[in-house]
Amino acid sequence: MTAPAADIRRVAVGIGQLAVSKSPRDVLVAYGLGSCVGVSMFDPGAGVAGLVHVLLPGSDGKPQDAKEPARFADYGLDLLVKSLVDAGGLKRRFVVKVAGGAAVLGPANAEKFKIGERNAEAIKERLKLHGLTPAARDIGGTKGRTLELHVATGRTYVRTAASPANEL
Amino acid sequence: MATPGTPIVTTLTRVASDGAIRAGRGLSGLMGQEITIHVPSVRLGTKADACDAVGGPETLVLGAYLSLAGDITGHVMLLFPVQRALDCVDLMCGQEKGTTTEPDELAFSAVGELGNIVGSAFVNALADETNLILHPSPPSVVSDMAIALVESVYAEVLSQGGDVVMIDTVFEDSSGRTAGLLIVAPDPSCLDRLRELAA
Repeated sequence: MTAPAADIRRVAVGIGQLAVSKSPRDVLVAYGLGSCVGVSMFDPGAGVAGLVHVLLPGSDGKPQDAKEPARFADYGLDLLVKSLVDAGGLKRRFVVKVAGGAAVLGPANAEKFKIGERNAEAIKERLKLHGLTPAARDIGGTKGRTLELHVATGRTYVRTAASPANEL
Repeated sequence: MATPGTPIVTTLTRVASDGAIRAGRGLSGLMGQEITIHVPSVRLGTKADACDAVGGPETLVLGAYLSLAGDITGHVMLLFPVQRALDCVDLMCGQEKGTTTEPDELAFSAVGELGNIVGSAFVNALADETNLILHPSPPSVVSDMAIALVESVYAEVLSQGGDVVMIDTVFEDSSGRTAGLLIVAPDPSCLDRLRELAA
């Protein structure tokens, strides 16, 4: 059951961070994903949920950053999967959703590093390695997104500056 | 890893101050009022409160993004809270305040021009101080949640490896409201060049 609005606790998941929760009060939120990608995982059986805010594609051998452990797609997803399993989750039950990977700095810049596109691709590959397929995705385009995951229900919502929250 | 107090931060703060004064002067002329400039803060990496000046991470902002080419490469972004941008547009177009109520084509064009003038003023000061040749690109007008834009610039710089240095300058009007936020980030490959200048 969803907690009454007053009891809800919004947990902001910043750049390169992740959060895992079993508390039905919690709503995990990655605010304003631009070229970054947010990945949510929820195990309905164990009632455990997690959200990661990935900044860059594969680490290519670069070490994990102490302050931003989920900076890279590979480290970020590995860490999220491990944290959920450690919290009692079962990988085969994970419901995975992905949002972000936009090109928000204009068309001229979009062609330069293609970070959003590369992030989305790296996430896809890493999920595949874990045997996970996203149940829903909202990626690409030119607008930033906020992704939130309600731990009580496992429901995810995406909103942009121009549109209200839509269930993903 | 560079830390606050290191020569590069000290030098960039000094250089950025001059840039900020010139950029603020440009903004002041366009806004038709006195603009106060906070001493630019040179930060390494990201900061959770990077978007506070424009109203917080999810605040809708309107702004201009320019890439920097020449002796050093990098990124320049000028962001305004939307209402502030619309007020600016009315002023620039000689219209009564409140005429422009939403970001339309004219507003986008005016904001691009604002970015051009303010961003170039900063870049020119940087070029003068460092004796480097710097060319800002034509502006792309951006409109999005503040954090989506800031984190995307951070990602661009960080993806190249090395240290990330971001220079934030907050402009305030006479009533203390934020009139704009200017973010300048040199690419990591150029930091050695800037370090030499700092030595």
